[in-house]
Amino acid sequence: MTDPFRRSLAGLIVRVFAWLPVTFAIWYVAAPILLWPAAFMAEIIGRSAWADIIRGVERARAELTFVTTLKAGSAGGRSGDIVVGVDLLLYSFGLPLYAALVLAAKEPRWPRRLLFGYAVLMPFVAWGALADFLKTIAITMGSQIASQTGFVAWQREAIAFSYQFGALILPTVVPLVVWVVTHRPLLERLRARSGA
Amino acid sequence: MLRFFTTFILLQVALFAAELTPWGQHYFVVPWTDTVAAISAWLLTLFDPNVAAAGKVLRSTGNGFAVSIEAGCNGIEATIALVAAIFAFPASWRDRLIGLGVGIVAVQGLNIVRVISLFYLGQWSMKAFDWAHLYVWQALIMLDVLVVWLIWVLMLPREGVAGGSPTGPAGGSPAPASA
Repeated sequence: MTDPFRRSLAGLIVRVFAWLPVTFAIWYVAAPILLWPAAFMAEIIGRSAWADIIRGVERARAELTFVTTLKAGSAGGRSGDIVVGVDLLLYSFGLPLYAALVLAAKEPRWPRRLLFGYAVLMPFVAWGALADFLKTIAITMGSQIASQTGFVAWQREAIAFSYQFGALILPTVVPLVVWVVTHRPLLERLRARSGA
Repeated sequence: MLRFFTTFILLQVALFAAELTPWGQHYFVVPWTDTVAAISAWLLTLFDPNVAAAGKVLRSTGNGFAVSIEAGCNGIEATIALVAAIFAFPASWRDRLIGLGVGIVAVQGLNIVRVISLFYLGQWSMKAFDWAHLYVWQALIMLDVLVVWLIWVLMLPREGVAGGSPTGPAGGSPAPASA
């Protein structure tokens, strides 16, 4: 490993850490605007695919609230509609990570790379939100609610997997994959300096 | 490039699915998580006698605060990402094993720092704990995976990446000799 390589890589890492507090702060404050496309996608897909379950979707800050047609039974014979809240921040923390990496790389046309990554990440945020909602009604809320959804066993398994994958893997892996794809010239230069 | 990402995604999905099976949970995830908790507790007791571990739970015997190490906090998903990225990349088996050995130690080492920091953050402020737990540490652990993988890829012998560098891998033209 050569000194220029060490300096380049160390410089990149230091700049990422310098940018992370800034990008996290912007992401948190601007979440209602930044995550609007993901919320819109989740609403459109949700209302199209599960029109018989989702009556409406409300947005407040970075939270989506799915108003459903599912009924919560009660002893007195009265019942209320099930409402499920989903926090979009839980599925979008890859955005500030990606932004910090792009800004730290200092490559030409960085705004374009930033916008590209943002556009790629939005559907995955929508995935996380929808999978969270489906997991809540099909699994977390118990058999009384799950039976109203009409999901069969394999569908509940698929929902559980989608939720886990959408919560534990996609939010962090997708930003890194997009960054590697959009920064090939930088990696090439780093490799040249590594002397390997 | 296409072959690398296709293999990476397939490996990632397969390993993650294997982790979620009852067999994967019983024989791998639970013992791994218990080990992370035990190592964290052992490290903590070196300078704080008021710490006890039971299974995946770390508890302060002083104020009763406890953290349970759950999926996403045991470092397994980050390790899966690293394993998939290293195996998807064209390299010799020797280089892969070295990358895996060093990389897993680096990822799990940082994960133990995460567990210990969350244990104390939670006793100080639950708001700070939630922020660090849900957003910041998740990003930092995966950033660690990226850095480890980058160092490994960039240090590979030239012939180990022929036709397979992230900057010009399989299916495309070979990486320039000087690059």
